[in-house]
Amino acid sequence: MTPLRQSLSRELGGLLSRLKLRRCQEVGDSPTVLGRVWIHGAGRVHVGSRVVLDGRLAPIELHAMSSDSLIILGDDVAIEGGASLEALSSITVGPGARLGAFIKAMDNQHHPLRGNRHERPPSVPMVIAEGVTVGSRAILLPGAQLQKGCTVAPGTVISRKIPAGVTVGGAPARVLRREVTG
Amino acid sequence: MTSRMPFVRVPAVLAQLEALRKSVEPRAQRAVAMVRARWLFRDVQSLGHNVAAYGPLSVHNAGEMVLGDRLTFVGGMLPSSLVCHAGALLTIGEETQFNYGVSLEAWKSVSVGARCMFASFVRLGDRDGHHTAPIVIEDDVWVAHGAIIMPGVRVGTRSVVAAGSIVTQDVPPDTLAMGNPARNMSLELVARDTGS
Repeated sequence: MTPLRQSLSRELGGLLSRLKLRRCQEVGDSPTVLGRVWIHGAGRVHVGSRVVLDGRLAPIELHAMSSDSLIILGDDVAIEGGASLEALSSITVGPGARLGAFIKAMDNQHHPLRGNRHERPPSVPMVIAEGVTVGSRAILLPGAQLQKGCTVAPGTVISRKIPAGVTVGGAPARVLRREVTG
Repeated sequence: MTSRMPFVRVPAVLAQLEALRKSVEPRAQRAVAMVRARWLFRDVQSLGHNVAAYGPLSVHNAGEMVLGDRLTFVGGMLPSSLVCHAGALLTIGEETQFNYGVSLEAWKSVSVGARCMFASFVRLGDRDGHHTAPIVIEDDVWVAHGAIIMPGVRVGTRSVVAAGSIVTQDVPPDTLAMGNPARNMSLELVARDTGS
């Protein structure tokens, strides 16, 4: 490929990515969007620089449900296909985090355990810190809080705080490995 | 146009149109969903009234399917699938709701009660390669995202199956089943502890 055609295709790809992210309120530099990304709901979605959203496997769903809900993706975030982020209050994904295929992150249970199932319980803002890796098919329930650099094994169900640098796995989640110092 | 007709307030008209769209759109979507459900469930033996399918759905019926009134199938990134093999019976009670990606497979018998809720990517199959045993889901059960229910399991009334859990044993009524394999805990105690 000649340099001219290469740069041309890169420009076109960038424009197409921006077109796919047109529902976002803020988009950083050079986003890469492959496949489909569904951004719906009345809330706001902010996307940082050099974000990679790979929706070729299945569409990525960023659902900011109510008008005051907020989804923030930091710089260098990578999300694989089928991931679904549902925010009623807020979901913050820190810089450099990687979210695997078919993960589900929700900050509200949507139904109470008992009683009238049509009223919503209060939501807990979710924070996924810098450099977190979430394996595919993991489920992040309200109350999940992933601190800096922790790793979540595929298929894990999390509803509490995970300390920094720890690897967790299983359902219910337990610590598989702590950070090796030095 | 606006300068010639000074009495027409364009923003007010636009707001009115927006309100009209908001009131008409859900009804139109519901009508389309009901027609789609009629088409998808055309070879189902007994189909209730007001069944709505808001997205694509794969239905394969070689046995007997009995679907209740007012079912809802929500559309999403992957279609739900209902499979009923020859000689099998798949029963779903009234007002049960299904999110996207739900997979129900009946080789012998799967029965779902009334007013249940199935979240996305829930899997129910009464054959796991070793044996075939009927699954019974009683009324008012909530099965959360990504849960798998194994053959021969009976889930009691008003029970909740937590997200991502794999249910291998019976769940009594008013119980929360969570984990892999799923452990049962009384909803009374759990709800008191978490305040929900």
